[in-house]
Amino acid sequence: MKYKKYDYTADKELYFYEFTSIGRKGEIKKVVEYSKMNIEGYYNLAFGDFDIETNEINDKVVTNNGDSLKVLSTVASTLYAFTGKYPNAQIFATGSNEARTRLYRMGITNNLVEIQEDFDVYGMKTDETFEKFVVGEDYLGFLITRKK
Amino acid sequence: MKVQEFNKSKIPLVKINKKLDKFKGKVLFKEKLDMANKLLEKAVLPKIDTQIN
Repeated sequence: MKYKKYDYTADKELYFYEFTSIGRKGEIKKVVEYSKMNIEGYYNLAFGDFDIETNEINDKVVTNNGDSLKVLSTVASTLYAFTGKYPNAQIFATGSNEARTRLYRMGITNNLVEIQEDFDVYGMKTDETFEKFVVGEDYLGFLITRKK
Repeated sequence: MKVQEFNKSKIPLVKINKKLDKFKGKVLFKEKLDMANKLLEKAVLPKIDTQIN
């Protein structure tokens, strides 16, 4: 990725990833999760803040730690680890709200050239069909698959 | 894998964190997973060469 990213750790199955965002609000633990969806072979990609004290996850909070590009780049880089182990996985991602989905879109756009070297990226349109990701288009969600 | 091949590989070295094993079998972002499943319920999925894991 052309943007800097944080080092992360993962569970041995590579479904969960953890890293620490470091910014103006201090250190904030982040967790990335790939979870199986109802459609076989499809996994949902989600990430958010992890509160060490309460052991709670929050994917709605706007962290505002001043490092969103680095965080998104880190999340994008977990795609390599996950699909390295599960090369046939179809990965779907959508935000918890429109603003968060736009943030995901920004993350894909910023890393698109590199992502497209190894992945096919689709955007889900409002008519519930998919098209190859087009920069600047609004989407309900994103589907990412490793190129064969 | 040889060292030269590994250096060229984009698959990162991932440090395993046993603390994350506590999440095994859990869904941390259940609300988002439910939302994603609902979104894809009626979606017309792109044709992709799939070999199920």
